[in-house]
Amino acid sequence: MGAFGPMKTTFPILLLVMVRAVAPAQSVFEQRHAEVVRVASDERDRSFSTITAKLKTGNDVPYALAMLDSLTKDEAIGGMFYSYSLIGCYLHTQDLLPDSLKRKVREAYRTRTMYRGDTENHWVMYYTGLYLAAQTWPDEEGSRWFNGRSSSENFQEARDWLDHWITISSTRGQGEFDSPTYITTFMTPMVVLYDFALDPVMKKKAQMMLDLLFVDFAAEHLQGNYGGGHSRDYPEDIINPLAAPSTFWAWLYFGEPGFPPWVETRYRPRHRSGWEPVFGAVSSYRLPDIIYRIATDRTTPYVHTETKRVRNVIRFGKELNPPAFKYTYVTKNYILGSLHGGILQPIQQHTWDVTYVSDKPNNTIFTLHPFYSGKELAMFFPEEEKFLSDEVDRYHKVYTNPNKWNSSSPYEQTFQHKNALIVLYHIEQGVKQPHINGFFPKNLDEFVRNASGWIFCRAGGTYVAIYPLKPYQWMEEEVNWRLRSHELNNGFVVEVGSLDEDGSFEAFQKRLRLKKPEYSGFDSNRTVEYITRNGDRMKFTFGGERVLNGRHHSFKEYGFFNGPFVQSKLGSGVIRMKYKNQTRTLNFNNVSLVDTP
Amino acid sequence: MLLLLLILFQVIESPQYKRVGGSVNQLRPALYAAVYINKGSTSVGSLSSIGLFRRYEGDTAWVNLRPNTITPGMGFTSFGDRHQLYLAGGNGLHRSTDEGRTWRVLTGWRTKEVLSVALDPADSLRLYISTPFGVYRSTDGGSTWIEKMRGFKTWFVRRVILDRVNRNMLYATGEDALYRSMDGAETWKQLSIGVPGIKWVMQHPADSNLLLVGTEDHGVRYSTDRGETWKQAAGLDTSAVYTLASTRDGSALYAAGFQTGVWRSMDKGATWSQVWKAPDFDAIYSVCVNPRNPEHLMAGTNGSGVSESFDNGRLWHDAGLPNAIVRQVVMYP
Repeated sequence: MGAFGPMKTTFPILLLVMVRAVAPAQSVFEQRHAEVVRVASDERDRSFSTITAKLKTGNDVPYALAMLDSLTKDEAIGGMFYSYSLIGCYLHTQDLLPDSLKRKVREAYRTRTMYRGDTENHWVMYYTGLYLAAQTWPDEEGSRWFNGRSSSENFQEARDWLDHWITISSTRGQGEFDSPTYITTFMTPMVVLYDFALDPVMKKKAQMMLDLLFVDFAAEHLQGNYGGGHSRDYPEDIINPLAAPSTFWAWLYFGEPGFPPWVETRYRPRHRSGWEPVFGAVSSYRLPDIIYRIATDRTTPYVHTETKRVRNVIRFGKELNPPAFKYTYVTKNYILGSLHGGILQPIQQHTWDVTYVSDKPNNTIFTLHPFYSGKELAMFFPEEEKFLSDEVDRYHKVYTNPNKWNSSSPYEQTFQHKNALIVLYHIEQGVKQPHINGFFPKNLDEFVRNASGWIFCRAGGTYVAIYPLKPYQWMEEEVNWRLRSHELNNGFVVEVGSLDEDGSFEAFQKRLRLKKPEYSGFDSNRTVEYITRNGDRMKFTFGGERVLNGRHHSFKEYGFFNGPFVQSKLGSGVIRMKYKNQTRTLNFNNVSLVDTP
Repeated sequence: MLLLLLILFQVIESPQYKRVGGSVNQLRPALYAAVYINKGSTSVGSLSSIGLFRRYEGDTAWVNLRPNTITPGMGFTSFGDRHQLYLAGGNGLHRSTDEGRTWRVLTGWRTKEVLSVALDPADSLRLYISTPFGVYRSTDGGSTWIEKMRGFKTWFVRRVILDRVNRNMLYATGEDALYRSMDGAETWKQLSIGVPGIKWVMQHPADSNLLLVGTEDHGVRYSTDRGETWKQAAGLDTSAVYTLASTRDGSALYAAGFQTGVWRSMDKGATWSQVWKAPDFDAIYSVCVNPRNPEHLMAGTNGSGVSESFDNGRLWHDAGLPNAIVRQVVMYP
């Protein structure tokens, strides 16, 4: 790898220049796609995406064939990641493969267990792989497959589940929704399914799912950042939003941020190489222009709400998939977004943040309660409650860490109105890790804590003000300041502004310095009232009502999607995108897609 | 590499077909271990050394019987000289009719993860499974499955067993209670054990009216009237008990769970005494007794593989499968 290290920073730039020089007629969009494939073709890591890139470009073909051969022979590899990416690589490159290697690929689906996994993304990968493999080798009996079922049985099983997933995702939302980390595990199988499903109906469904996944992202996208609340996110991605895999997809399809993700090492997460978007880059799927516009036009600030669903609650719940409500406020400078709170996902939930445009990493501010419990995990996993915390820690490393940056908590709830947010905590006595953490990057341009009680932050043209209801400690860490409060009944009022909205940072502070939330009875009634700097009166009771300007705040108004760019009634299966005079309507009920004009 | 990365499998040994007694259809007795996860793996997607394992009686080597899926349970049955081996796992319910050489998945996506299987010894077509989403029944040998949850108040079901005498009677451990069906799973009735968190249910091998359950926080409870009334067992009343086992004649019962070691009852479950502290194990998920040698016990542990004892549980030694979380051990036949 050493020989390739220095090339990584310079080669893509040279390549971009070269591509532009030789293909002036190509769109910038096509150039990005070509660039991904070409750069990936120089990578040496052992993955189906880089093999695909090498074979597609003709670069390093002997090495690619050797890698593919070793992956098909290596019985130490298998499972859902393997299943869909092996068939994707095969279908993209089969014309270039020797017959002996083709046979080895086929044999892999007989000789090893393709483990289905236990999460939504696992099943999407598993069933996409099974669908395409069964389609590729039809009319074979059960003895030719790892699970003893015939090609037709496997095909039908995979088709039925994919139909089920597409239906529920287009009517009630994903369980693993809006995940900057896991987005790749949905995008990649869907582009492969779109490219190779022979059934035109399934192909159309895959296309519509890609449109849905992309517009879901686009409406909460800001210059490469996936803003707002997330069902699942790795802590590295939460505190450094452009490090998330979603950034790669944003760059590839939206053209933002303005640099290829592999060039900026400060945004390259240390724990993965992330070349799966190669499958997007070689795909014939093309992003509709309207989604590109929705992702990139930030001329006018807007509110965007959504309803998603909690993943399967197998224990300790009254409902298998309760709703999860999202509220997001998007401007050209920042996104303030929140989930309504509580346990909506185990392990990796990210409930709220403000993420702002910056040329520096760690461009986000948020708070959380670092909750953990075996009972929370037992809601979602069938293992024994007494072991689950330790078991999850083995994989995810931070679940029981008091300093972790991702967590759901039954003791955290939010109420947001545009650029103002109230987040409340009501932590019961005896709960493990009974404290609240707040993340504030150290690279803020300005930072003020004064007697007003507010914490003021400026990052470029974005201003953030946070009013902690209770005392807290302030701790310096490597890239951030950590706010920590041990007060069990607690909360924060958050206001976000900008140069456009407020003028100078000093003016922003001045508007807020004399403002105070009313929470004198908070310890007994858990209620906070606050009049925003824009004059809106918010009243929020933990476990009770959210009231805006005297009117009950209803989650029913959130719709499946409700915003200027995306509209959908919950359960309807019809998603309407709108940008100026363009519209695109996805109707999953009759698998139709209609554009106007 | 992205997140959970690729799945790692260990090199699979080819199953050996050792037969005894001159008949090609007479199975050689073996210990089977259902390995749920292996703690040697560091990724949730790493599946090295998981699935169903077999060790022939008298041997020391374990053989992986192939389906490398998380495996919480198993089941055996025979019709005439035909043996059927079932694996309850993350990919569904698997069946092998050739001693584990080949497998077929019987369930589809609707049944999801399978936690246990109950087999009707008189009807090869009749199967029951428990899942995190309820009990399912098949009456056509596993080709089709129907959810059978009428009467349940929750949907998570850890374990389902069939009454030894009445083939229409079943018991199922729900999230909130033990349930009983008198009509082949058509309807279920919640039994009043008095505590939630039922982890295991066992019917006494010599007294079909005697039921015993292991609970999350209240040790062992037992009923002498097939579940109508329940009593707290003495000696083992505040622990999490994950498993119960019995000698073939029921003269000795064993219980184990979370930080309990192994306990024994010589009076049909009324009183219990500890026979092994098992200080190195945080939990024991399963115990079985060799049907041909009641002094030979085997235990499936939480991350330390299998241990066994040849002296009624006083002295134990490591019996292999390092780092494995073994959810069930069964000696068959």
